[in-house]
Amino acid sequence: MAERTGRPASLNRGLALVLVLGAIAVLAPLWAQDPLRIDLAATLKSPSGAHWLGTDALGRDLTARIAYGGRVSLGIGILTSLFSLAIGVPLGALAGFRGGWTDAAVSRLIETVACVPSLLLAIALLAMSPAVLRGIPDVLRVALVLAFAGWIPVARYMRGEFMRLKSAEMVEAARAAGASDLRIMVRHLLPSALAPVLVTASFAAASAILVEAALSFLGLGVQPPQPTWGGLLSDAREQIDQGWWLAVVPGLALYGAVLGFNLIGEGIRDRLDPRASTR
Amino acid sequence: MLRRIVSRLATGALTLLLVTLLVFGLIQLAPGDPMAVQDDGMERLSAADRAALEAYYGFDRPVAVQYASWLGRLLRGDLGNSIRDRRPVAEKIGERLSVTLSLNAMALFLIVTLSVPIGAAAALNPGSVADRWSATATYLLYAVPIFWAALLLQRLFAVRLGWLPLYGSGGVTGIPRVANMVLPVICLTYGGLAYVSRFVRANLLESTRFETILSARARGMTRFAILVRHGFRLAAVPMLTLAGFLIPALFAGSVIVETVFQLPGLGWLFIDAAYQRDLPVLLGVTLISGAAALAGILFADVTYALADPRVRRG
Repeated sequence: MAERTGRPASLNRGLALVLVLGAIAVLAPLWAQDPLRIDLAATLKSPSGAHWLGTDALGRDLTARIAYGGRVSLGIGILTSLFSLAIGVPLGALAGFRGGWTDAAVSRLIETVACVPSLLLAIALLAMSPAVLRGIPDVLRVALVLAFAGWIPVARYMRGEFMRLKSAEMVEAARAAGASDLRIMVRHLLPSALAPVLVTASFAAASAILVEAALSFLGLGVQPPQPTWGGLLSDAREQIDQGWWLAVVPGLALYGAVLGFNLIGEGIRDRLDPRASTR
Repeated sequence: MLRRIVSRLATGALTLLLVTLLVFGLIQLAPGDPMAVQDDGMERLSAADRAALEAYYGFDRPVAVQYASWLGRLLRGDLGNSIRDRRPVAEKIGERLSVTLSLNAMALFLIVTLSVPIGAAAALNPGSVADRWSATATYLLYAVPIFWAALLLQRLFAVRLGWLPLYGSGGVTGIPRVANMVLPVICLTYGGLAYVSRFVRANLLESTRFETILSARARGMTRFAILVRHGFRLAAVPMLTLAGFLIPALFAGSVIVETVFQLPGLGWLFIDAAYQRDLPVLLGVTLISGAAALAGILFADVTYALADPRVRRG
């Protein structure tokens, strides 16, 4: 169908975006300047040979700050995604496969957490800083807080997948052979659901990166002097009348990462079931 | 149908109870002495404030009793007092409600009215250059972070062009002036607009084969007019459901938008409470936002049941 023209490219585009940003961030110590080095003789410099993307109000190199900020954003995105899978996959799978009371209970839980906007939940959790979240690195703390609501879409999607899968013939066959529910779910259904797991993993990463940036933008996420994309945009607010690069470039990096993970998720989903696409 | 609606409302009531339990759980999650602000430079509470909070939450009693009595207070509209100015949280929320409601109502109105013509225009010639461009544009727009969009729009329209105020509400009190609402409403609208127009387009494409559309064509209406008319009719019911689900996203958006543009709404109140660790305000707004989202979802589900003939019969 014409409406799907160019669709297969989305996975590749997404992978390219994420890999390029990932390489820039991971390899930052090898090539970037010190993101914390203040140079008051070179504040708010526009992009040049010495500072490819210019400098901020304290003369810090924006290229380096974006590269190091990427380590925070992508790290939190991937960590949150893993935590969300750890909660969402078993719960969603159980609800979809078991049905009945299990499903009713999990569905109520999903609806409950989904009611409270995840940004508000994350802010409330961070502001209260419960004992369990104290004394651990910022990145891990923010990832845990984001996973608190992040598992919801994962569980929803897995529930649907397992509902569909449980009517497959192999379930009957395995059951006839005396396999337990757990064995059927883990040995037979989970491998078939691997691609859906990857789909939800990349969507979870995209939304975690977005919410993390919002938290840092509001000053509630990973704390300065550690550079973060949201924090860089927050700094750009202070210099609203100068230095366009301060507002544009960190936003582009953030946008690229979110778009990249979204495209990966959609690319895999379209390969699974071209009709499920919303694009 | 009645049974269906009643059972939906019953599960909704259960969910509401669970939302209160979730918020109560947040209170319990707070450090051993929930009211002792951490030693991170934030000031500690005075003995009197702490006593007032303990009286409200009743931390010395068993957890179940705490929950029951807290729930009883909620039912009487008592959300406790703010730590900062000792005023009732319910009163503070009440003052801020009109700004947030008008902001969200405008955004929701624009999303619903604009997405149908946009979706219809895209569905006019599926696969055409215009359709592909609009698909790409809406796709790209949907993922733009709100605070980045706000920052760029502020730079362009307030700083460079000077057409609109940078932030603030323009008056001393009450609802912000129109000029002060333009950028905030745009920021709150574009994401939902992009999402819903794609949804309308997909819905219309599925239905363009319907004979009703062909017969309308025979009566001499233009295809665009048909699509917009059918678009509204076809999309009305599913869009209600979407609107219900849009509410949490809109509310999260207005937290950011109100903070960036300094509009005195619930979102700004919430962020302020987070900065100042004003626990009662923080949890009060969390609870209200959860209840509002749930009400939206229930409203959508019930309307859906009333409007859809397939559901109505079932």
